[in-house]
Amino acid sequence: MKKLHIVILVVIALSIAGLLTLTKDITTYDSIASAKKKEGRYVHLIAKLDRSRPVEYDPVKDPNFLSFYAIDSLGYKTQVVYRNSKPTELEHSDRVVLKGQMKGDVFECKEILLKCPSKYKDDPTQQMKKLENTAVTTSSQN
Amino acid sequence: MRYEGEHLLIGQIGHFFTLLSFVSAILATYAYIRSARALDMTDGERWRKLGRIAFSIQVFSIISIFVTLYLVIYNHYFEYKYAHQHSKRSLDVEYLLSCFWEGQEGSFMLWTFWQGILGMVVMRTAKKFEAPAMTIISLAQVFLASFIIGVYFFDIRIGTGPFVLMRNEFPDAPIFQDPNYLFKYLTDGNGLNILLQNYWMVIHPPVLFLGFASALVPFSFAIAGLWKNDHKGWIKHGLPWALFSAGILGLGIMMGAAWAYESLTFGGYWAWDPVENASMVPWMLMVAGIHTMLIFKHTGHSMKATYFFIPLAYFLVLYSTFLTRTGILGDTSVHSFTGEGDTLYWHLILMMLTFISITTVLYIRNRKEIPDIRKEESMNSREFWMFVGSLLMFVSAGYIIALTSLPFINKLIDTKWAIGQDVEYVYNRVMILVTVVIALLTAITQYFKYKETTRKYFWSNLLVPTLVTILISSLISIFGGIDYDKYGIGFLAAIHVALWASVYTVISNGTYIFKVMKGNMKAAGASISHVGFGLMLIGILISSSKKELVSVNNTGINVAGLKDVKGKEENPLENVTLINGVPTQMGKYTVTYVGDSAVKKNDRVYFKINFTERDTTGRRDVESFDIYPNAFLVKGEEGMNLSSNPGARHYLSNDIFVYITSWLNPDKVTDTASFRNYWVKKGDTVFYSNGFLTVNDIVMANKNDNKDLPVVDSAWLSDLMVVSKDGRSYPSQPAYFVKNSQPSVKTDTVFTQNLVLNINRVSGDKIELGLKESGAVMRYITLKAYKFPYINVLWLGTIIMVIGFLVSMVRRLKV
Repeated sequence: MKKLHIVILVVIALSIAGLLTLTKDITTYDSIASAKKKEGRYVHLIAKLDRSRPVEYDPVKDPNFLSFYAIDSLGYKTQVVYRNSKPTELEHSDRVVLKGQMKGDVFECKEILLKCPSKYKDDPTQQMKKLENTAVTTSSQN
Repeated sequence: MRYEGEHLLIGQIGHFFTLLSFVSAILATYAYIRSARALDMTDGERWRKLGRIAFSIQVFSIISIFVTLYLVIYNHYFEYKYAHQHSKRSLDVEYLLSCFWEGQEGSFMLWTFWQGILGMVVMRTAKKFEAPAMTIISLAQVFLASFIIGVYFFDIRIGTGPFVLMRNEFPDAPIFQDPNYLFKYLTDGNGLNILLQNYWMVIHPPVLFLGFASALVPFSFAIAGLWKNDHKGWIKHGLPWALFSAGILGLGIMMGAAWAYESLTFGGYWAWDPVENASMVPWMLMVAGIHTMLIFKHTGHSMKATYFFIPLAYFLVLYSTFLTRTGILGDTSVHSFTGEGDTLYWHLILMMLTFISITTVLYIRNRKEIPDIRKEESMNSREFWMFVGSLLMFVSAGYIIALTSLPFINKLIDTKWAIGQDVEYVYNRVMILVTVVIALLTAITQYFKYKETTRKYFWSNLLVPTLVTILISSLISIFGGIDYDKYGIGFLAAIHVALWASVYTVISNGTYIFKVMKGNMKAAGASISHVGFGLMLIGILISSSKKELVSVNNTGINVAGLKDVKGKEENPLENVTLINGVPTQMGKYTVTYVGDSAVKKNDRVYFKINFTERDTTGRRDVESFDIYPNAFLVKGEEGMNLSSNPGARHYLSNDIFVYITSWLNPDKVTDTASFRNYWVKKGDTVFYSNGFLTVNDIVMANKNDNKDLPVVDSAWLSDLMVVSKDGRSYPSQPAYFVKNSQPSVKTDTVFTQNLVLNINRVSGDKIELGLKESGAVMRYITLKAYKFPYINVLWLGTIIMVIGFLVSMVRRLKV
């Protein structure tokens, strides 16, 4: 056997070992209901901001405490706590990806990814909405 | 209906050139295929001439499209969708170019522009490889031209044209019922994303796309070699192009890193974001390919590996475009681009499959002809270790791209996987080991000769750099203060080993230039880029492991009883709120929010934040400076949005960044009130304009007699009750701490009373209570502050590495 073959085999073995250690780092996208079943497990929630409930953030009291409610596409809701500053576009987001874990009734969030309409300039439906708004606001001014 | 004020001619000219660029690219491809396959010399020459003319027309068309679209944007013709979506009247002229690459079509144009320019160079220099290589380049141009052609093929729209009109795109919008819509409604555009209004974003995309475009050239020569069965000849052309490509691509990627660093959108220069990963992986393959090409040139080994790495580098450029541009990464990337929907998705898949099939078919057809040496490489040879390094580059690139592709894999096999808690560590813990091996190989491999090296030659040259490395690395390890223990002792040890290996890379390659190459810089391109690469690794290792959070928020210490401790030191919270004019302690700095500019043009607000460092006596300032972070106020659909740009203080050895995370727009009220001070003890009462406050208790504690005191050495804690005229009472608990003989103050506020309370000084059982009443609404900002050390080593390493690539390229052009 060639030495290079040995090297290649070692590399392959190492990469398999590497991938195996990964399995504990791979999580899943979950709904709120399934996240509640996996209390304490780190998951990604795909949800929306529940606009019927207030977003609680008072930087004077504590700049590292944000609390709001999230609702997923199945209609389940949960309180979300994020111990960091409020992402400035939270209220404008269409969708949020919340990374964290359920603790009791509260989703302890470590990271928030926002999907904002402003980031999706090229999305035709958003543009259409915007155009209609332009027409409404300009004509109401006249 | 006749619409008023439109400029339709310029769009028609632009559209004509998009069609012309598509047609001429097809013609060029066809002509070059005929030329490459021609058996008869004169016949081949005729087709080649036609190919040249067609390709030149194609490049001319692309330039014309560019100029036309620039005029549309420059003149603010908002009837065109591109101008309306990506520009606005108040945009500074220097950012008008950035409008191009904010949109999908503009970035494809930039890409096809560079491929065209590089194609013109190949056309003039490739000699006997011109026809086959230009066939591939022209074919790539056909695909790129089709991305921006925007014509209907039956019911499917192929590509999106940059010259479409708003009223054709949204025919149902009510504003287009009005012939004067341009004057009444579409009077301004949506503007450019604020993140792109940064000088790095003006120059980073052109360089990066030049890097992407240049990856096509070595690929096209590899195909030319396979096609013509000239496996030696193409290397002579391919190698300088591969060096050029790796240099420019590396530069482009690092410019993106510099932008991310300065705008802090990713929290630093690199965050293993899919967009970053996707651009780095082709570079890694290109570097692997360069090394196997060199092996082949000197020993005849590794031709098959080269035919694997070089095409793969180009496929990965296409694949990275596929990942970042089709919106498939949507949920995983902070910064993924917009989705254009299914057409672009299939369009890019078709392009990838076409090039993969061409490569595979040609390879299989000619596999017997590809030179292959049966005799195996010696362990004492340069080529053996170079190949091991290339292989490792390939495997680690595979690891990165596999993880980055999870969203795509999810889509293919209908799963819902995602990388868990700590994305960066998932990459870092593997890449730190890769770094150790790669850096070690980079350090020693040049001291091997091709084919066979004597032990004496190897050690006589390598002994000195090895000893010097041991000395310098030990000094860094002992005195460098690298104690990043977030992931335990094992990872910290790995950082130190990687640092040793990187120092070894720098020292031994530096020595090689002067000792073995005798200082002949023109021939030392490889060693120069290795030195740069080693410096980059050192910069990455040190700056990442010594990154410091300045705005540690420990003010969550509750006063009475000292029980509920929220702000533990091992897990500090990152944001600190500053009230206008109230100094707050952050690490060694006393930080004050001094003020802000009034809302100005483009809605950008500048904040003035003062940092003062006192000496240990607390009387003299060691250093005092202001940092000006700024933020845009963007009108969103539901009110104002804050989009923040950090302010920075640059030193040679470190940078301090300040980033506004929250701001209450004060409606331009000014606050002129200042602190009034009172010496009080327990039981005293102080009056203010709207009521009084009583001092219920003052608790003194220090570490020796109070084990609950977790973070500070000693503390004076007050328990006050503020009672307003209307009878409401508010508890308030300002406090005074001392840690390492540095005093710090925890300010408390009674927001509804516009009261700010703090303890300035203490003496026995008395405290000096500072009381500030603000007639206006209180102004405050919330910010984060970071300190990044030794980032300049990374930038310096990048520049040296790129210079090294270019020096090698120039040399390979001559030999």
